[in-house]
Amino acid sequence: MINEKIKISTKNLNVFYASKQALFDININLKENKVTALIGPSGCGKSTFIRCLNRMNDVIDICKVEGSIKIDGDEINKKNLDVNLIREKVGMVFQKPNPFPKSIYDNVAYGPRIHGLAENRESLDNIVENSLKKAALWDEVKDRLNQPGTGLSGGQQQRLCIARTISINPEVILMDEPCSALDPIATAKIEELIDELKETYTIVIVTHSMSQAARVSNDTGFFHLGKILEFNSTEKIFKNPDNKLTQDYITGRFG
Amino acid sequence: MNSKQKEILMRKRYSAEKRFKFFGIFSISLAILFLCILLFNIFTSGLSAFFKTKLILKINFDEKKLGINMNTPDEAIKASNFNEILQDALLNLDLLAPDLKKIELIDIVSIDATYELKRFYLQNKDQLNKIVEISLTLSDDLDQLYKGNFPRDIPEDRRRFSDFQLKVFDEQNSQNKIITEFNFSFFKNADSREPELAGIGASLIGSLLTILVCLILSFPIGFLAAIYLEEFAPKNKITEIIEINVNNLAAVPSIVFGLLGLGVFLNYFYLPRSTPLVGGLVLALMTLPRIIIPCRAALKAVSPSIREGALALGASKVQAVMHNVVPLALPGTLSGTIIGLSQALGETAPLILIGMVAFINVVPTYPIDPSAVLPVQVYLWSESAERGFVEKTSATIIILIFFLVLMNSSAIYLRNKFEKKWS
Repeated sequence: MINEKIKISTKNLNVFYASKQALFDININLKENKVTALIGPSGCGKSTFIRCLNRMNDVIDICKVEGSIKIDGDEINKKNLDVNLIREKVGMVFQKPNPFPKSIYDNVAYGPRIHGLAENRESLDNIVENSLKKAALWDEVKDRLNQPGTGLSGGQQQRLCIARTISINPEVILMDEPCSALDPIATAKIEELIDELKETYTIVIVTHSMSQAARVSNDTGFFHLGKILEFNSTEKIFKNPDNKLTQDYITGRFG
Repeated sequence: MNSKQKEILMRKRYSAEKRFKFFGIFSISLAILFLCILLFNIFTSGLSAFFKTKLILKINFDEKKLGINMNTPDEAIKASNFNEILQDALLNLDLLAPDLKKIELIDIVSIDATYELKRFYLQNKDQLNKIVEISLTLSDDLDQLYKGNFPRDIPEDRRRFSDFQLKVFDEQNSQNKIITEFNFSFFKNADSREPELAGIGASLIGSLLTILVCLILSFPIGFLAAIYLEEFAPKNKITEIIEINVNNLAAVPSIVFGLLGLGVFLNYFYLPRSTPLVGGLVLALMTLPRIIIPCRAALKAVSPSIREGALALGASKVQAVMHNVVPLALPGTLSGTIIGLSQALGETAPLILIGMVAFINVVPTYPIDPSAVLPVQVYLWSESAERGFVEKTSATIIILIFFLVLMNSSAIYLRNKFEKKWS
């Protein structure tokens, strides 16, 4: 328990969609270089929560976020902060693979290009290669980097999106049900990848699969009706949860 | 429900399906039938305009009659008169013609024939003092007769050529002196009072310039307006009013835009009347909403996850839209624009109001030259009395349809090409 540095912490986080409140007083601490899984029935606010962490909720006009979100101790939920800088630091992988209408190479090179991370063509090539290698996709696509990213299979597309996310070297990766559109084999590959990525990145993953949460995460948080009912180590949550509802949910009795 | 009732129910369903199918096929066949009738009608009356009838004459380029010699400069040749040698050749067709009929002999060919001779001589100066066989354009009345567009059994006082001219024509025809060749001048010449000389050169170039002005104005403005409204504008009362008005403008009758152009561009800004510049401006106003609407639809159809993906990488909103959303919306945008422009190409009423209905006998070069456009040319010729203009009207429609089909199929081609690329 000595090396466990807190990466992200929220305090009294409340989120409203117009007049409807989606999250109630979320207080949570996410540890550095660990995988945190967020579970809970549909509509409980898991996705809303992780979208707060890279200010993606700004895109939704009617959404209002109140409270404090700190990354490495710096407040990110304040008005005059450049959201692009936060998103450079906190990457996101979405539910449905969403490759850009570009080649595989350009998909990965897009982030480094807009942030000016590569000085020349050679270093850009290196970033692309390393990102694809880290995303365990390099061997499958190295001969067709110029083909459209949309031509890959669903699982490959999702790994391409992960490569794209890590290309700008973020500190945190948010994953919003990254395997819900994938078959079991592709899912297994992504899970393996998550295990490797946590060496370098802090990962927050939203998932509907209990087994996935149990397999990949160090900590698990259980959301219910916009509140966090229980947050603890994954082992504790799955073996001996404090809350009766958590117990019911993970054993499939409701949700 | 027992099996009997079930069977009745199923039979009803089958017959309803059959009925629906029948009505569908019936309507489509009806539409195709009308299209075929229209095309058949236009092509049968228009195709002959692509050919012209010529008379082969023996011309003597006599230097005394022409008043020129081998060393005469081109300028002087252009100023000299080739009428006499033409008349000599025509009078030779029937040496016994009484004096009164001689004028009828001269009228067999088009008034352009003397210029045709001049053009021929300017390129073949070695033919001086030689007798050469040259084909010259026939007058439009005999042209129509030869093409079978004009019945020959009508009494003399009700047709525009005399029995004597008919006799000479038949004689020449039996000697194979009447030939048909492709009518290049139909595409090169501007409008004329003489049907055999009238062409769509001026209106073709005029239409091209007008559409060009329209495209240059309406595409960037419409496209950017669509991007702003769809991606950046806040959703409030003002943008809502703008959206409703854009939709209303698309439904405003085109002649209203013509009135607007007349009032604003001509009477207030004093822009040159009846020019492609003003025509393009008016059509751009009319086309703008017709471009904005499909462009917005194309942008709306792009999955929001693409935008979020780019934003989550730290792209700015402009970068997310320009780099990733616009390329995906491009096929819809392009085909919407092309279809908007092809509507503009066929537009007549607003252009009549800004004076593009004028008689233009010079092919325009710049957008500020007075010019005609194809649909207005159709309108003008359809009102002319001469037989020769009937085929010209239909031929112009054929050209117009050709360009419309070309534009619309390029819209389909672009859409398929870009869609395939990303799916």
